[in-house]
Amino acid sequence: MPAPPFADRPRIDALDKVRGAAAYAADMRFPGLLHAMTVPSPVARGRVAALETEAALRIPGVTRILTPADFAPTQRVADLPNSPRPGLVPEIAFRGEPLALIVAETLEAAIEGAEAVRVRIEGAPFSATVDSPGAAREPAPDVSTGDAARALAGASTIVEASYESPTQHHNPIELLSTTAVWADGRLLIHEGSQNAGAIKVAVARTLGIDPAIVDVKSATVGGAFGQKGWVQRQTALVARAAMLTGRPVKLVAPRGQIFHLATFRPLSRHRIRLGADATGRMVGVHYEVDQQNSRSGGFPANQYHDGAMRLYGIADYAGIAANIRTDTQAPGHMRAPYEHPACFAFESAVDELSYRLGRDPVALRMANDTRTDMHTGKPLSSRFLNECLQIGAERFGWSRRNPAPASMAAPDGTQIGWGVACGLYPTLIHPAVATLRIAADGSTRFAVAGHEFGQGIRTALAAVLTRELQIDERRLQILVGDTTAAPQHLTAGSWGSASALPLVVQAVARMRQAVAELLDGRRIAGTLHQQIATVRRPFLEVEVSQVGPGQDSAALQRMRAGGYAVTGPAYPDFTTMSYIAHFVEVRVEPRTRRVRVPRVVSIADCGRVVSPRTAASQVRGGVVWGISHALREATETDPRYGGFLNNDLAEYVVATNADVDEIDVGFVDEPDPLFNSIGLKSLGEVSMVGVSAAVANAVFHATGRRLRKLPIRVDDLL
Amino acid sequence: MQSFRLIRPRTAQEAVSAAAQGGAASRFIAGGTTLYDLMKLNIERPGQVIDITGIGELHRIETAGEELRFGALAPMSAVATDAVVSRDHPVLAEALAKAASQQLRNMASVGGNLLQRTRCPYFRNGAGGVYPCNKREPGSGCAAIGGLDRSQAVLGTSEACTAVSPGDWPVALVAVDAGIELLGPNGPRSMPVDALYRLPGETPQHEFTLAPGEMITAITVPRRNAGRLSTYHKIRDRESYAFALASAAVVLELEGDRIAQARVALGGVATRPWRAPAAEQMLAGQRLTPELALAAGHAAFRDARAGHHNAFKLELGARTVADALIIAAERRP
Ligand SMILES: Cc1cc2nc3c(=O)[nH]c(=O)nc-3n(C[C@H](O)[C@H](O)[C@H](O)COP(=O)(O)OP(=O)(O)OC[C@H]3O[C@@H](n4cnc5c(N)ncnc54)[C@H](O)[C@@H]3O)c2cc1C
Repeated sequence: MPAPPFADRPRIDALDKVRGAAAYAADMRFPGLLHAMTVPSPVARGRVAALETEAALRIPGVTRILTPADFAPTQRVADLPNSPRPGLVPEIAFRGEPLALIVAETLEAAIEGAEAVRVRIEGAPFSATVDSPGAAREPAPDVSTGDAARALAGASTIVEASYESPTQHHNPIELLSTTAVWADGRLLIHEGSQNAGAIKVAVARTLGIDPAIVDVKSATVGGAFGQKGWVQRQTALVARAAMLTGRPVKLVAPRGQIFHLATFRPLSRHRIRLGADATGRMVGVHYEVDQQNSRSGGFPANQYHDGAMRLYGIADYAGIAANIRTDTQAPGHMRAPYEHPACFAFESAVDELSYRLGRDPVALRMANDTRTDMHTGKPLSSRFLNECLQIGAERFGWSRRNPAPASMAAPDGTQIGWGVACGLYPTLIHPAVATLRIAADGSTRFAVAGHEFGQGIRTALAAVLTRELQIDERRLQILVGDTTAAPQHLTAGSWGSASALPLVVQAVARMRQAVAELLDGRRIAGTLHQQIATVRRPFLEVEVSQVGPGQDSAALQRMRAGGYAVTGPAYPDFTTMSYIAHFVEVRVEPRTRRVRVPRVVSIADCGRVVSPRTAASQVRGGVVWGISHALREATETDPRYGGFLNNDLAEYVVATNADVDEIDVGFVDEPDPLFNSIGLKSLGEVSMVGVSAAVANAVFHATGRRLRKLPIRVDDLL
Repeated sequence: MQSFRLIRPRTAQEAVSAAAQGGAASRFIAGGTTLYDLMKLNIERPGQVIDITGIGELHRIETAGEELRFGALAPMSAVATDAVVSRDHPVLAEALAKAASQQLRNMASVGGNLLQRTRCPYFRNGAGGVYPCNKREPGSGCAAIGGLDRSQAVLGTSEACTAVSPGDWPVALVAVDAGIELLGPNGPRSMPVDALYRLPGETPQHEFTLAPGEMITAITVPRRNAGRLSTYHKIRDRESYAFALASAAVVLELEGDRIAQARVALGGVATRPWRAPAAEQMLAGQRLTPELALAAGHAAFRDARAGHHNAFKLELGARTVADALIIAAERRP
């Protein structure tokens, strides 16, 4: 039975955060702490011929310099989130690759030491961008359903266009920080991460030690967005330094280095042929996508289709994909990694189709609704996209829109445009284990796989815990991101809530049963805590686990071993996706052509909303980022040098408060009847999917200019 | 970053003496928002840093007389929100308020602002041999010419350098014929702000005309040059916390419905704060219309030269001037 609606509740950690009391990984203090700094490669490809460290070692405070000699040679494996990273190696595969690690008594000495290392490099030719000579195009497997060529041949209207989404970097405010402590035969790592479990295994693999002696803690993360889902290169380096020096070592990577070390959203190019019949039904799609990848990058190219092919009821879909291999670090997941660029392209094409057909873009979308996953033929467990469109159109006042492009203007000549676009995101689930402990002293402890990076998983867990149990919230401890408390999974892909919250329901039921067994028929009044106290037990603890539909205990085993065991959105009997509709108003200045976004209405179908406040905050954040994607953000590469040129927060322009105005968020809040006991689906990523298309569509409506390459800047509209 | 000696003088004279002793490796530090940045990027490597923030007399803001006088250490935020400045001299207040972020404006001084260095990414990111830059390593070449030059200058460029002079405040000051007061090893002197800046020419490493060890002590603005019919209009890649793609400082003096004198200076488009006399001449004696405003804007860019990705600045810059003129004129009571 799905849960009834949840009431609003404040963020459980809000007060700590505004008071600066929340402790992030870099805030951990250890006696005798040493500071580390890396020496990044100035070239994009080559080999280190010599590392001259004498001058650096003479700097007061520098205690040790790690070089490739301090690491057993490792083979480069395909770069995926959980893959072990190499230690230090002499071969240079990308600009910014760490060549040495300086360890010093102070941060200042470590920085000075890093600058004093002289590196002699034998450079090699490289391909920095997808258009550079030597950038190799490598097809990925197709993702197709039906016969798109035949369907398109029979279509009466075809839109054909190419779209481009630029290279972007995540830039969470918290930098990549690792602190490693080697003591009593155990290695303890504090790092802001979404994937503590993988760090445990991968670092052990790189260093040739037993994962069982490695503990990883990532209790509070200052933004992640997918960047911190990948095991970082620096973690094993810092851990090795701690083992070699016998002292705790900390590294906080400077932002300019992070642009070159962590993953990024790769540039992608989308060529779409979209056909409709005379009634306006979309009948076929031929969609080719190329994405930038690194030479050893494992980030799959064909997943752009997973969402796009399920957005409407289109039976015939040809999804083609390719990687273009370049000499960079590996690109990876950045919030809605595939769906966001894909829906920019696809929902722009749908908008173009609406003008070609002379149909209202909202009505056209609603007429192409589906109850079936056309790719698998299975039913969708729930889909309320039309409700999102309907509610959104009403709140936005869509019916007052003059459909003609460049038809709406303010008295001063400012052009006004209204655009709409939809988004969707798979609802995935990862196996997980949780323990609930109820103590006689009135405290409650819940430990589960998951990471708190601001999205509010602790708040959502508390919402379910306090509804299921009578507890004193001040004495509630929720442990996430801690491998010593519960096995940890990669918390990403919006599967955190679905993978953790139903475990609360299950754990509470198990706990009630355990207490009943303990009481053995005695009737004792009061809370579970009081009952446990009355029978003189210090506490009672239960463990529960959950796998996804169609998974068995092998998936759970994989998870316990630090492996990746996510499943969905196509389950044995149904497919589960989340949906959103965005309505955007833009205003384009008459002369200098600045684009402003005074209001957005976004309505989401994420199943049951468990934590209304953090859920709305997720959507607002997603909309802000979507605006930023559409109008602001792009990382620039000079093909002659490689690397990323605008590698700081002043030059990589993310939207500021002044760029954002009214964002009206709503939820359908209909529980999904099949997916889990609470009826929740996924939310974090779907929030931003489609926003950039809605902005671009609004710019078209305002100006009559169809811009297919992001970001849209004044240069494009003058 | 390397170790350096820190000196904290109490008077301007002490500071200047310390600078003379420290020689070429000596730097003054005020808010530190430029200097520390460049030290962290390994571009500035001073052996001696003279912290002048303890010199009380340099913090003063005086707005009573015919000449506004801003001590070099007055924070940008304090001048921007000064009651008289924000009420009577919008071009000054806006140039400061539209720069950087509130946090930076609280730290940064109006004197240090005049000496901020270019944001050219090849200049800032290139230390350690990554990108050549004639400003950073004279004679090494210019990576921006033929590179990603969307934000580079279109006015005042040379074969050696196209880096933009990034400041907003200096543009407003040049428009209003402001002056600076200096104290150096040879005593005090003063000069127009306009004379502080060099064109890059063959020697882009030399940006300012200060003598070694010379300190800015104050900025002076003739009050009537910066009246209420003025604005600093700034177009950037986002609505705050970004440097200008194009900006215009404009001050109008009207006689009836005609322009007696227009002051126009440009930012974000030139290698130094750029006065636009051609635009000013076109406007003098005329009645302002949108067409005239745009023509004046285009006149300001008559000698501009674009690179690969920054040609849009010619049109954007002209339209920014036009909008600024219209905004300033609309401030007529
Ligand atoms: C992220 C970022 C964004 C910014 N955005 C903008 C913007 O949009 N617009 C804009 O105009 N500016 C912007 N700035 C620049 C900022 O305004 C300047 O850094 C600041 O004004 C410099 O003042 P300061 O007191 O901090 O100078 P400092 O860093 O202390 O000094 C700067 C230079 O001047 C010298 N110096 C300082 N005071 C004196 C003096 N009295 N006499 C002689 N020499 C002196 C120093 O030796 C140093 O070389 C930005 C800066 C940052 C970091």
